[in-house]
Amino acid sequence: MSVGAQIQRLRKQYPESTSAVLPALRLAQEEHGGWLPPEALREVAEALDLTPAHCLSIASFYDQFRLEPMGRTVIEVCTNVSCALSGAQQVVEAFERELGIDAGSTSEDGAFTLGSVECLGGCGWATVVAVDNRHRLRVQAADVPGIVEELRA
Amino acid sequence: MSELVAVTIDDRPVEVPKGTGLVEAAQAAGVEIPVFCYEPRLGPPVGACRMCLIEIEGMPKLQAGCTLTATDGMVIHTAATSAKAAEGQEATLEFILVNHPLDCPVCDKGGECPLQDLAFRYGPGNTRMTLPKLTVDKPIPVSPLIALDRERCILCYRCTRFSEDVAEDGQLIARNRGARTEIATFEDEAYRSPFSGNVIELCPVGALTSTLYRFAARPWDIQNVPTICTACPVGCNVSATIREGKVKRILSRNHPEIDRGWLCDKGRFSYPHLRAEDRITTPLRRGKKGLEEITWDDALDSAEEMLRNAGGAIVTALSGSETTEIAYALGRLLRGGHGAHSAVMPEATSTALEAFHLPLSAIGDAEIIVVVGDDPVVERAPIVDLWIKEARRHGAEIVVCSPAGDLATEPGGAAARCQELATPRDALGKKLRAAERAVLIWSGPGGGGGARLAELAHELGLEEKAGSGAFHLPATANALGAAAAWAASADADEANPEPIELLIVSGDEAAADPSVRALAEEAKRVIVLTMFHELAAGWADLILPSTAALERDGTTMNLEGRVQRLRRAVPPPCPDELAWIAKLAARFDVELASEAPGVFEELAGHLFRDLALDDLGLHAPLPARQTYETPAPSSSLPAASPAASLETEDGALRLQRFRALFSGPAVERVAQLDFQRPDAEVELATAEAERRGITSGDAVFVRSNGTSVELRARVNRKLIEGVARIADEHASDLHAVVEVVKA
Amino acid sequence: MPERPQIVFAGTNGGALTQFEDYAAVGGFAPLRKARSMAPDDVIAELESSGLRGRGGAFFPTGRKWAFVPKPDQLAKPHYLVVNADESEPGTFKDREIMLRVPFRFLEGCLIAAHAISSQHVFVYIRGEYEQEFEVLRESLEAMRKADLLGGVTVVIHRGAGAYICGEETALLESLEGKRGQPRTKPPFPAIAGLYAAPTAVNNVESITTVTSVLELGATEYAKLGVENSTGTRVFSLSGDVVNPGNYELPHGITLRELIYDVGGGVPGGRELKAIIPGGSSTSILTGADIDTPLDFTSLVQAGSSIGSAGVIVIDERCCMVQLGIRVSQFYEHESCGKCTPCRVGTRWLTQILQKIEGGRASQPDLDLLLSVCDRIMGKCLCPLGDSDAIAVLSYVDRFRDEYQAHIDLGRCPFDGESSLEGILAPSAMHESPAHGIARV
Ligand SMILES: Cc1cc2nc3c(=O)[nH]c(=O)nc-3n(C[C@H](O)[C@H](O)[C@H](O)COP(=O)(O)O)c2cc1C
Ligand code: SF4
Ligand code: FES
Repeated sequence: MSVGAQIQRLRKQYPESTSAVLPALRLAQEEHGGWLPPEALREVAEALDLTPAHCLSIASFYDQFRLEPMGRTVIEVCTNVSCALSGAQQVVEAFERELGIDAGSTSEDGAFTLGSVECLGGCGWATVVAVDNRHRLRVQAADVPGIVEELRA
Repeated sequence: MSELVAVTIDDRPVEVPKGTGLVEAAQAAGVEIPVFCYEPRLGPPVGACRMCLIEIEGMPKLQAGCTLTATDGMVIHTAATSAKAAEGQEATLEFILVNHPLDCPVCDKGGECPLQDLAFRYGPGNTRMTLPKLTVDKPIPVSPLIALDRERCILCYRCTRFSEDVAEDGQLIARNRGARTEIATFEDEAYRSPFSGNVIELCPVGALTSTLYRFAARPWDIQNVPTICTACPVGCNVSATIREGKVKRILSRNHPEIDRGWLCDKGRFSYPHLRAEDRITTPLRRGKKGLEEITWDDALDSAEEMLRNAGGAIVTALSGSETTEIAYALGRLLRGGHGAHSAVMPEATSTALEAFHLPLSAIGDAEIIVVVGDDPVVERAPIVDLWIKEARRHGAEIVVCSPAGDLATEPGGAAARCQELATPRDALGKKLRAAERAVLIWSGPGGGGGARLAELAHELGLEEKAGSGAFHLPATANALGAAAAWAASADADEANPEPIELLIVSGDEAAADPSVRALAEEAKRVIVLTMFHELAAGWADLILPSTAALERDGTTMNLEGRVQRLRRAVPPPCPDELAWIAKLAARFDVELASEAPGVFEELAGHLFRDLALDDLGLHAPLPARQTYETPAPSSSLPAASPAASLETEDGALRLQRFRALFSGPAVERVAQLDFQRPDAEVELATAEAERRGITSGDAVFVRSNGTSVELRARVNRKLIEGVARIADEHASDLHAVVEVVKA
Repeated sequence: MPERPQIVFAGTNGGALTQFEDYAAVGGFAPLRKARSMAPDDVIAELESSGLRGRGGAFFPTGRKWAFVPKPDQLAKPHYLVVNADESEPGTFKDREIMLRVPFRFLEGCLIAAHAISSQHVFVYIRGEYEQEFEVLRESLEAMRKADLLGGVTVVIHRGAGAYICGEETALLESLEGKRGQPRTKPPFPAIAGLYAAPTAVNNVESITTVTSVLELGATEYAKLGVENSTGTRVFSLSGDVVNPGNYELPHGITLRELIYDVGGGVPGGRELKAIIPGGSSTSILTGADIDTPLDFTSLVQAGSSIGSAGVIVIDERCCMVQLGIRVSQFYEHESCGKCTPCRVGTRWLTQILQKIEGGRASQPDLDLLLSVCDRIMGKCLCPLGDSDAIAVLSYVDRFRDEYQAHIDLGRCPFDGESSLEGILAPSAMHESPAHGIARV
């Protein structure tokens, strides 16, 4: 099914179709390899009778929508207080070392994007690392080489 | 009258209607609550900027005054009487100024900037912000008309709210979140909306500025002249900013019943045409070596001679852009002096709608609005489109009966649609009858200048209901006034001279009109009154330079039937029409005043029941409703036969042309408006496009009888089948039936 | 060990009740049948007498909130129940576990609440980062639909997309309407004009799940738990420098000492307890000396803080309080929606001043400025987000003034690079170039 047709289904869930914009953007992002290029915003706009500018305004408000290309695997380390107290910075640095990139950037081969994020709601299981939005709990710096190896495989 | 409540503001008691906003209530008490984001015309308050913090007794926290309404017994303290409120205000100002550059001396807003004023009055005087400010590239173009300086922006969201909630164009947006929020367009594309310029006036700082006005003047060496826009029949109230005898910008001058302070970009930005390169200021006469400049005395001699030689076989083509006075003066000269009663009017007009007079603002309060006619309202009368949008936001039902409307209607089918609506069983007609506030609008050609619509309105009983009414949207600014003045200038029937000895073409619209050009080929001699060389050079025998609306004194009558006063903003570079018409008239023993007030006085007796110019004031009133008179059976109203269905061959489409708002001689002379002109495209119904294997964006040929134009296709889901829709300026010489093929 | 009655997690035995039959076997769906046999007003009355107050942070009585929603004959518009599952308050992770372990009890609560406010439409707004939880809810909802339990009510599980502010109820509604998640000014309140300007109740996941239990136990039984003004149990999220972090359902009124030491196993490595953030990062900090404070609404107010979302963050002696201030302020700066001036500008300014102090570049006036900027934010914003930053930072300076002073006097951080928060990289710092003055802690 085309993105447009899937969005038409989504909008039926809501009393007013504008409510479908978040799910529609999420869908478009998945279809476009993890980010929202201008065409994706145009598609969503077309399907929901909005303007591309409006869709950009929405997308740019939310952290989970990306307006730049991402690596094939996105690694995000929570660095909010509870995780930070439990060694999140060491985890970030371990990923930087293993991946050879600075947090906030994407590896040259496009394989990985590494970043820090605000509280992921797993403070009791620190450090929380989201790999493509799937949470790994109680990650320590020492676990990082293994994780990266697994992800590279 | 709604219930009154008593509130006390800074120890001053005041009574205001219940529900009055505190900002207005304070105003009534003579107290100012300073605001930035608050702007009632943009919809409900948002409480974003926090400039309006006040203390209300009984509430522990400071409140955003702009978001609250007066309730009985409320006791309010602004900064003037509350230390807490003063601290709140100072806090907000300090935060606003934290990232604001100190470039007031080079800012176009300097001297008329609300932020500058408030900082001066309430500000801390010095900054405690010693850390790096947020800095960005500046200024950047938001369009060829508007520059954006993001550093100056205080994120009041007025501009984006206008774009989203008033113009509903969804083009100008806020991007990102928190401190990184910024005003932007999609992919840095131009902000293209008929109303874009309003954001310049809405911006309370120098963040959004006009590229045409940039560095053009400082507020203290300018003068603002109140006048009326003549770019369309709405007649928005405007001020022209003048410096050293030149128009520097056009601002709105809020007439709450007409425009509410909004302007379209055509009205706001086309003033540079006054100084177009091909503007003519000296009369030209065709001689042996083509057109030659001559003196005004020679020009009047020539005109006199041509008039005398024509022996009354004269036809006058009017533009609908003349002031009522000019049209009247021409009528007196030609009809009174020469018996030349034959005129080509820019369009049909009718007085039948006078029974349904309503201020435009009432559209915003309507329950149901039915629009008939081929043309989109925004292309004919843009502000009317804003009023309709407002009505929709308030929950009104809007039904557009047009080839691309909600109720698909064949081109030319408006009259038939009206007849349907008038039948007792028609569902939509029933709703119109039942509604307290129903509005009818005719937007397009045909229909006898509104007579057909008046008939329907009468049938539906709208003249009985104070909130109901009907509007015809003429194609020109003063069609009503010009037609009425011409009619009033003499009392004789029109005769069609054959052959035409002399054709007089008054104004640029008539000069640009192909049918007038065709008439010129028949005429022996042609006099053209125009601003621009190009419009008349090929075919006129005598060209008399004309003045622009901004250079004129006089009146116009807008689509509501309201008479409004034009005031001369700048001196014209050539004699005023009324002055030389009076001189010429004198040569034929016709006595005419040479200034607008004098002419008005005379014509008002015929037309306006002795209305005095002073009665119009700065905000002219709407004349009272007249009783509806059923037209005589022999009236010239065109038959409401279903749209004359053209015999189309298989695969052929009917061409539907429309005159875009951004077109015409003035727009064509302002390069910055080019991006607003209609795209070179042809609109097709989904099915028609599919049949031809065309998708949006494809290059296509549109052909008829040997003419072919290449355009881009755009699929319009709402357009009916069998039609190809093209803006006039791209339809060139195409005939009524075309075929469309993929290029 | 304190007594640990299980209300929210009843019947789980430490596991999860994610199978329809398992949940039915422990008495599931009986409360819903009971509620549906009652008049809506009686359900509301039951809630009022249970003393249940909102678990989302504001502690507003749940029954009273529903009573504010106009009756259908008073306002003929659709009524909406919107459940706040946006859980993003740092230190809080309880709703997540509730949705994972007792999804049916939660969804059952949604239907009971919908009945109470005569709503046919439930929206669960779940934060976008909760993917597994979203899937569990979806499957559970499907099972309930198959079992014909929805009774004509539509339940839509709507995913957010990463914005803390969407936990604020009016921002949530804006976001649910497909807009930028920016708070609305109140009035009008959601009860009157909420989603699509129609009457709406917004409740937290834990509140709604507890509703099921209140119906099951009866208001009187429920109110026996906890303490006056704070009845019932609470799912406390325990995190930070503690041996056994996690969620613990305990009655209101147990002390911090019981939670941290008896349940949580104390501070690791025998280090000294320095500070406690008792209700998520938006609440004022307490010191080690406050360890005997009971965890209930009134006691925490008396201690100068608040129960908030019951996310208890334990901080030991290794942590620099200026760095804590920076990291917390960076969070609010990053999450500020940008609508109102004091929050948008003030949160960023606070971070900058704190960084100057931490960097040893500050002088006495900078500390005064810090406090003054906090004052100028507080009580002036459109929603509580900006206040939260100011409240937190003010409390750090208030309770650990010496440490702030030391940074100024020494011209450097007294922890000399050894603080547990040293070098932490916040997302807000990733966006900013050093030219903007924001670098890593
Ligand atoms: C900045 C901010 C964030 C909030 N985040 C949440 C949240 O993540 N979850 C939640 O339930 N309530 C949150 N709230 C509280 C909600 O606004 C609202 O009070 C709550 O959802 C009501 O539910 P309750 O009465 O059941 O507690 C937040 C409030 C603010 C001001
Ligand atoms: S550009 Fe002007 S109008 Fe728009 S948000 Fe900024 S300050 Fe307000
Ligand atoms: S004017 Fe009231 S908040 Fe902006």
